Amino acid sequence: MDPATATGTRRNVPPTAAESALLSDLHGVLGDDGLKTSVLSRATYRRDASFLNADPLAIALPRTREELAAVLRACRDHGVPYTPRAAGTGLAGGATPTGVAGVRPLVISVARMDRLLELDVANRRAHVEPGLVNARLGRAAAAEGLRFAPDPASQIAATLGGNVATNAGGIHVLTYGVMSQHVLAVELMDTDGEVHLLDGRLPEQAGLDLRGVSVGGEGTLGIVIGAWLRLLPAPPAVGTLLAGFDTLEAAAATVGALVTSDRLPDAVELMDARAIALVEDYAQAGYPTDAAAVLLLEYEGLSAGVSAGVDTAERLATEHGATEVVRAADADQRARIWKGRKAVAGAIAKTAPDFFLQDVVVPRSRLGEMLDAVVAISEREDLVILTVVHAGDGNLPPFVLFDRREEGVLDRVFAAGHDIVTTALALDGTLTGEHGVGIEKRDFLSQIYTADDLAVQQAVRRAIEPSGLANPDKVLPTTVGCLEASMVPEGAWV
Amino acid sequence: MSDATTMTTDLAPIVETIEAARAARGRLVIRGGGSVVDRLPLTDAEVLSTAELTGVVDHRPEDLVITVRAGTPVEELSALLATHGQECPIEPLAGHGSTVGGRLATALAGPRQLQAGRVRDWVLRVRLVTADARVVTAGGVTVKDVTGYDLCRLATGSWGTLGVIAEVTLKLRPIPTASAWFTSERPASLVLADLYRPAAVVSTGEGTFVRLEEHPDDVVAQAAAVGLRSADPPTLPTTARAAVDPGRLAELTSWAQAAGIPHAGFAGVGVCLLDGDPDALAAAGARAAELGGSLLVLDAGATTLPMRPPPVDPMTERVRAALDPQQIMFDVRQPR
Repeated sequence: MDPATATGTRRNVPPTAAESALLSDLHGVLGDDGLKTSVLSRATYRRDASFLNADPLAIALPRTREELAAVLRACRDHGVPYTPRAAGTGLAGGATPTGVAGVRPLVISVARMDRLLELDVANRRAHVEPGLVNARLGRAAAAEGLRFAPDPASQIAATLGGNVATNAGGIHVLTYGVMSQHVLAVELMDTDGEVHLLDGRLPEQAGLDLRGVSVGGEGTLGIVIGAWLRLLPAPPAVGTLLAGFDTLEAAAATVGALVTSDRLPDAVELMDARAIALVEDYAQAGYPTDAAAVLLLEYEGLSAGVSAGVDTAERLATEHGATEVVRAADADQRARIWKGRKAVAGAIAKTAPDFFLQDVVVPRSRLGEMLDAVVAISEREDLVILTVVHAGDGNLPPFVLFDRREEGVLDRVFAAGHDIVTTALALDGTLTGEHGVGIEKRDFLSQIYTADDLAVQQAVRRAIEPSGLANPDKVLPTTVGCLEASMVPEGAWV
Repeated sequence: MSDATTMTTDLAPIVETIEAARAARGRLVIRGGGSVVDRLPLTDAEVLSTAELTGVVDHRPEDLVITVRAGTPVEELSALLATHGQECPIEPLAGHGSTVGGRLATALAGPRQLQAGRVRDWVLRVRLVTADARVVTAGGVTVKDVTGYDLCRLATGSWGTLGVIAEVTLKLRPIPTASAWFTSERPASLVLADLYRPAAVVSTGEGTFVRLEEHPDDVVAQAAAVGLRSADPPTLPTTARAAVDPGRLAELTSWAQAAGIPHAGFAGVGVCLLDGDPDALAAAGARAAELGGSLLVLDAGATTLPMRPPPVDPMTERVRAALDPQQIMFDVRQPR
């Protein structure tokens, strides 16, 4: 558990006979360009955007479905597990190459399968490969007067395959819904290299919604090799509002009033004083630096409804004691207001070498209690915790900032993380709203679900992916009911 | 997080019925309000009713979330929510006493699916009594939740083949400030392209019907811009429903128009409701199949056609077998 050992104790371990045989087969399929085995490559692929890490056997970078199918069949034939990934922006360790029982997995990156296969403007849908970056689809859609709604903060780097695999969220979930709502069909490749078109394009009568299960499957059900995604017309009008408050409570109460008003905002983000100070210093978004909290609100749609929504928001914010309310007058001002929110990760990177990010969700009416609790936890553990909240959804990712070189800091970080999760659960909340379970939250699942609940989840997983080789150590413990048996692989620290 | 005692009391009869069926190697067909099952041919499967399983478990208007037992009629739910200015846009089947559980289990589309999205997108949590008699919960009461696999969506549209949906937590939204039906002579596809996210566009023999749900000023402005006239809602056929790729719906509705078959096609959704004699329905089924779709006949008296669910992926069979190893849940769509 000492970070000093995180550089990996397995780097010089020679491959086993099975591993060597697999690597030889893979080289035949992928060549030097598509198969990476060097220490440097393996170090690059040790982790996703979480700080959970482990040493992979090698990295396969197929360019085509045929190559990917051959890679999967080779894994199957040699009994080697695999961890799918693309950009590696995940935050829960879903793409961290932990194996089982000491067997290092092959990382299979679909980043090179990145084509926009079809943009069907008339029917407002897109057929994409998994490595296509979210923002690239957004730009292609915008050129046709369309938009792709899911907009996770990492959208300039995150891929659509990863968005499907984690059922990603974003800023506009409140009215547009999570990723699953925008996935019409998934093409899932199993460990035999066979492709399953899940759900197809029929609006009903289409069999069990295995599409819905595969969205958020975190690579444990096979590899998402394509998806049909729903596009929406770009809204004719957009209204954006920035409101500053003296207290977190006032901001949270305003969120409660907005959610029960007669028109839901399309986005409601809350940032606390620490987050404001950090992003103002970094991005100069124009937030009031003396405020205890700001709300960023957005309404989209037709002009009268948008105006009425912004009017309502301004009135409710003022009634709840807002000290400053700014309506974006034009697209530039709107972009500036959002710039601060989108700069959070960059601002953090400039401030602290490490951060640990939770992703709990609470019912919206409990948001104020949750925010209070985070402040108390921050004081108790003597840690800087930034609160940036998808407030309309009750989804708060508190960023715990730290420097891993500080002695004993990790214990405090994990204690804070643990307390944030247990507080959220006590408020009728849940573990993860959009990042996924990965490894990080896997062992908390039994606090939410009963043994029967988990047994059924496991049965569904085995029915869809019988080989057990697809990202085996993620989402559910390998053996449900034996949580204590889940392993921290050698060379990894968690 | 579940209240095990309450749940056991509530669900004990269902668990017992399933266990008895397993012991006797019998088969069960789940009946909610009967809006689907009662119109299908009788089977020798025993009826497992959710009629006693009604009422609100927990309504949190401030969180836009409600939990109801599955046998609760959709109209009852809508009336309750309306007193809070809220709705869950799950549409009942016309005039047949749909229950919330039944609408989840069949996941049949209504015209408002165009803007409101599918039934599955409004489901946050499901309590399911599986076909192997386990009471399980999937999902949670928050509006976002990716904790574990999304078995809520798996249960939605499962036609009772995985078990009995016993309790449901639904996402809510404010009722739109204004809504109205309109009509137009123009083809549905053109009307749909000219409007910003209309609530419904329905193509019928009497023309195109449009529902707008917006701020009142936007309703007036959109209707004027596209030349819509006020109208009553369209009459929806009830005998059969074709499902096709939404991009091919116009081919189906123009075929029905030419053949003189009463129809209502939900533009942008891909569902077409149809009435007709057995010959007409047989022809409609063939046409839907040519377009890559399927036809579901919901009135046993209307046809001798077997109901044919579309072919399914082998994974589907494996998932069914995992939760219903003895195959006690009868799929009412099977030919018999």
